[in-house]
Amino acid sequence: MGRVLFPQNVADAMKGGWLFLLCVLMLLLLVTSTAAIGAETAEQAQAIPVPNPSADLWREVRQRDGIVVGKTQVAGVDSGALINPYGETWRNFRMQQLIPYSGYLLVGMLLLLLLFFAIRGKVKVNAGMSDKKLFRYSLYERMIHWFIASVFLFLALTGLILLFGRSLLIPWVGQELFSLLASASKEGHNLFGPVFVVALLLIFIRFVRRNIYQRGDLTWLLKGGGIIGKGHVPSNFFNMGEKSMFWLLVLLGIVIIGSGLILVFPLFGQTRVTMELAHLSHAITTLLMILVIMGHIYIGSVGMEGALDGMTTGYCDLNWAREHHAQWAERCEQEGQVVSEAEVSRLRGESSGGHIPPAGAQESGQ
Amino acid sequence: MARMKFYCDAERCIECNACVTACKNENEVPWGVNRRRVVTIKDGEPGERSLSVACMHCSDAPCIAVCPVDCIYDTLDGVVLHNKDICIGCGYCFYACPFGAPQFPQEGAFGSRGKMDKCTFCAGGPEEDLSAEERRKYGSNRLAEGKLPLCAEMCSTKALLAGDANVIADIYRERVINRGASVLNRGVSYQNAAFRASRGMEGKSSMKK
Repeated sequence: MGRVLFPQNVADAMKGGWLFLLCVLMLLLLVTSTAAIGAETAEQAQAIPVPNPSADLWREVRQRDGIVVGKTQVAGVDSGALINPYGETWRNFRMQQLIPYSGYLLVGMLLLLLLFFAIRGKVKVNAGMSDKKLFRYSLYERMIHWFIASVFLFLALTGLILLFGRSLLIPWVGQELFSLLASASKEGHNLFGPVFVVALLLIFIRFVRRNIYQRGDLTWLLKGGGIIGKGHVPSNFFNMGEKSMFWLLVLLGIVIIGSGLILVFPLFGQTRVTMELAHLSHAITTLLMILVIMGHIYIGSVGMEGALDGMTTGYCDLNWAREHHAQWAERCEQEGQVVSEAEVSRLRGESSGGHIPPAGAQESGQ
Repeated sequence: MARMKFYCDAERCIECNACVTACKNENEVPWGVNRRRVVTIKDGEPGERSLSVACMHCSDAPCIAVCPVDCIYDTLDGVVLHNKDICIGCGYCFYACPFGAPQFPQEGAFGSRGKMDKCTFCAGGPEEDLSAEERRKYGSNRLAEGKLPLCAEMCSTKALLAGDANVIADIYRERVINRGASVLNRGVSYQNAAFRASRGMEGKSSMKK
């Protein structure tokens, strides 16, 4: 249109001066509005409807908010889905978030525990270790504790090898050796995963009664388990922190087991999206659990004097119990369940394996 | 070097599944694994289209990024290959791939995964070219023989194209332009596909002028 008008304008400009001025203005307009003319021609081209079935098809197939499922002769779950856009989401989660941030968190937790140990040191039994003992965990309880502990540590280790191995281990041991290690880790993880289900179930059944929240737990929480203020906070067989760890273990455990089973048995028709979500929740919950267990291991070993005895020998120190589980210790003392160290060694020494615990020691927890 | 790509022309694919069969036969893939599949969208409805899909040999391949043992790599030709000796069968590439290309033969009980298998663009694996071991693990290596992937080579309607990305793009672009005329005329592209005005087009477009 502009090109047609242009010569006319020139002709008009010859007729009169004011028209010439107008023409110059028009010329300026034309020069400056080349882009506008381009847009105009594009509009003209768009005016003719050109159906493009290919474009429509790809638009439909590549829609970002869902998966188009078609039909295919190839059998298999999801084989009808042409493009699964969530794969990229999962990739970004694993590579950009999971691997770096879980690394920071794990190292951060380790540093935090070291810092705490450096500041607070080992929590001593104030009254000193006595020669009196209280029966705390039966052989069965110790067995299932160390059972779930070893299974958990194995699963955590193999899982972390698969998560960090490529960036941390391949540069050291090389691809082929790491492949062997990773293969063993994967097989071991898949084999012992279902065993963890059994272990957690045994732990839950055995310890659930003593882990029900009760009076005094709130006070314990408000005093930060004795970190805030002076002195120990009285508690029953398990304190508020231990109870919370138990419930966290159970709740996280349910998610970990559910997602793990989805991943380990890919034969129930679960789709890729389901497995991506399962992996995501598996990773987040296991990471949380590892962090919590790191704290548990710290306080049960180097963090506190006398804390490990109950889980290794079955008997804990009376003074330790008085300071950390005052209500439970008091009840045990009232019921006359205090045993001397000599008695303990006699019991442990004589009966190799199955010794008879003082009756009712366990049940006093409730 | 070339940058190898597949392209499936949905206007030409007739869902004959010959590419699937040819691939299985040429590469002797494990039982239960299909490196290539044909998916039909809107089957039996207006606008039905079929596409043949396999590994797309991505430039920034998600499988390469997520593999925990780093067994997937791309060649100078832009072909994404993997090393079955290193693969541990974890399934991560399968989660990450948008096209569902990586697949796993069922190795043991309870659906445990074996070594990953996927389209190799008929380029074998990391073993020596055309060796017996390469053939056993990855199938044929037609690229080493100077040939292109069999699925595309034997596609009867030439819907499936394989080769250097630039060449493939040129062929496809030419097709799109050629179809333009008939698309304008009748709303379908596979009839009267030629670079000239079709009969009965007068008054409908400005192309004649």
